[in-house]
Amino acid sequence: MNRPFIWKLGIVSLAAVAAFGCAPVGTETSTGKPDPAGAGTAAPAADAKLAGNLEVQAFKGGFGIDFYEAALAEFGEKHPELKTKIEGDPRVWERLKPRMVAGDTPDLMFPGWGMDHWSLIADNQLMPLDAALDSPADGAEGTWRDQFLPDMLKIGQVDGKTYLLPLYVNLNGWWYDKAVFDKNGWKPPTNFAELKTLCAAVKAKGMAPITYQGKYPYYMIHGMLLPWAYSVGGADAMKAVQNLEPGAWKSDSMLQAAKMIVELRDLGYFQKGATAMSHTESQAEFVIGRAAMIPCGTWLYSEMKDNLTDKNQLTFFLPPPVEGGKGDPSALIVSIEPWMVPAKAKNPEAALAFYKYMTSPAKAAQFVSEKNTLTAIKGSESGIKLDVLRQPAALFAASKDAWAWQVRDWYKPLHTEIENALTSMLNGELTPEQFVERCEKAAEATRNDPNIAKRTL
Amino acid sequence: MQRRPGWFIAGFLAPALLLYVGLVLFPLQQAVQISFFQWRGTSSVVKPAGTANYQQVVRDPVFYEALGNNAWMAVVVGLVVFAVAMLAAHALKKRDRPAKILDALVLVPMAVSSVVAALLWQFMFHPQMGPVPELQKMLGLGEFQSGWLATPATALPAVGVALAWLSIGFYVVLFGAGMQQIPGEVMESADMDGIPGWAKFWRITWPLLWTVRRTAVIYWFISVMNTFAIVYLMTKGGPDHRTEVMLTYLYITAVENSQYGYGSALAVVNLVLVLAISGLLMWLMRRDPAEARA
Repeated sequence: MNRPFIWKLGIVSLAAVAAFGCAPVGTETSTGKPDPAGAGTAAPAADAKLAGNLEVQAFKGGFGIDFYEAALAEFGEKHPELKTKIEGDPRVWERLKPRMVAGDTPDLMFPGWGMDHWSLIADNQLMPLDAALDSPADGAEGTWRDQFLPDMLKIGQVDGKTYLLPLYVNLNGWWYDKAVFDKNGWKPPTNFAELKTLCAAVKAKGMAPITYQGKYPYYMIHGMLLPWAYSVGGADAMKAVQNLEPGAWKSDSMLQAAKMIVELRDLGYFQKGATAMSHTESQAEFVIGRAAMIPCGTWLYSEMKDNLTDKNQLTFFLPPPVEGGKGDPSALIVSIEPWMVPAKAKNPEAALAFYKYMTSPAKAAQFVSEKNTLTAIKGSESGIKLDVLRQPAALFAASKDAWAWQVRDWYKPLHTEIENALTSMLNGELTPEQFVERCEKAAEATRNDPNIAKRTL
Repeated sequence: MQRRPGWFIAGFLAPALLLYVGLVLFPLQQAVQISFFQWRGTSSVVKPAGTANYQQVVRDPVFYEALGNNAWMAVVVGLVVFAVAMLAAHALKKRDRPAKILDALVLVPMAVSSVVAALLWQFMFHPQMGPVPELQKMLGLGEFQSGWLATPATALPAVGVALAWLSIGFYVVLFGAGMQQIPGEVMESADMDGIPGWAKFWRITWPLLWTVRRTAVIYWFISVMNTFAIVYLMTKGGPDHRTEVMLTYLYITAVENSQYGYGSALAVVNLVLVLAISGLLMWLMRRDPAEARA
């Protein structure tokens, strides 16, 4: 082949690329605030017949999608004119993200933990659901809004508008094995001082007192750093942190919590190697009895149930608060994995009617009994079948402040930095003072970055 | 009538060219385009950013740390891989029983995907059950509070070991093929002249492997810059970026932290660096030093 031919080939390639590339990436700009005018679609009256197509996409995690499939089938029978479709997989967000970019969205979706919900909100990709919430409930008295626990609805709201709806609720706390504790005459600690005493006894027995999922620092953040900071400084201190207020990280609450973690490490109460362990590795250590306690959400039982024997009696308890702290000792951290309706959904009425059906008291109670988890729907705890869920349900009902750590959803780079700083502190590369200083700097950078949409509690 | 060969050739090249343009050049052009915007990746909404992303790359300490880790793997792990592969290739030249066993041992990792290798080596370093910490305890060297994969000083070497294990097979085959190319008469005349083993290797085999060495260096450099799965699965770039490499950093930035503009800028900078350094390596190694001397 001669040189001129190769040049021609090169020019053709570049021309092709230029032709392809002329498709616009997108020319709208966004200020990060959702559309103030729209109030969303009201869900139709319960007896209205729906028609058209309804496409539902759901995350297939520990709870599967069989419940949603069955519910959709039941719902479809009531509306014979409606063509329904539901799909799900463990990484459904990977399929949904390009669809959201292209504007070819499903009608109702539960994208799962891998989707950045708050970016969807900032990009006006989600429909505000308040009109639907204020419409009559399905299978109960009052409005649909009344069926939800109000604190759980608040988590998905911006400026009073609701974009994200909860179904199941995870509580964050610690776990111990009652069988092991009873055998050794141990009691779960009710405050930090008792925790230290217990840890000394456990260590003397040759068992690791506490293990954790070090490879994923958010477990320790939810299980130790935040509850202890809350316990010392109260709800206001945590609100300041979440609102990125200057100096919030340098407050006594965060520093104290960091020092408590370092103290437990220095006393040798953390299992050796925990910082390198994944969630399955450390949870396995706990279940087989090499560690006495582990911070984890209420999903632990479902996640590990195939590894349990008859001897295990996994029991949930709250992170032991600081005695005499400002924070209410009954407070606990919750997390929701939300459902939402894309703004470009073609059949939002059907989507909302179906979700209303799935969150009716009867279906919610059925979800609780089948999936062994709590939900955000009032009265659903009547469906509890397993004992392992009773303690979390009681703690949830009695809690005077069930709050969510929203920094993780709102400011992802900031949260990554907090996680990295925590790992360095655990490795002794940062003192607690340096840890909070580093987090404060990261919070300041986030606060000063005009490209990051800011939220306030 | 004489047909113009150009169109005939172009017809056969067209499918490959189409794939190349569509799957390589087009995403590349998009990446460059996106790097001049802020994009969250959840809609088509973008905000022009000018060169802000590139300015941020230059100021970003994690970028330099990731690059440094890539460089460490390229040089330190590379030297280990080449040394071991060269020795293994030399040993495998004799086709006896031990050679056949060594052959199998060395080639098995090549058949294993990097995902499986990452899981395997994560188990090898498991603080409670892994063979490496067990050996460490047996030798009386204690154990690490944070385990091999989360202790700052050992995390990158541990990942390096996994990477070396995965890569050695390919270079054994490459060097072995190179050694096969050396004419038998050359080696026979060396034997007849009574040249000892090490001198035979260093003075005869080594220089004659020039083209193979050049290929190996460039190929190794590119594959180190492309390392992702092994690092992401074993340590996710931790502890605190100690094992971060360019690809894990740009993946976490774009996909997990929804910063596609900045992630694209990192990707473009990474590409430019890889092209520049490969180009430099190829230029430095353009002439066989043995021939240059002749």
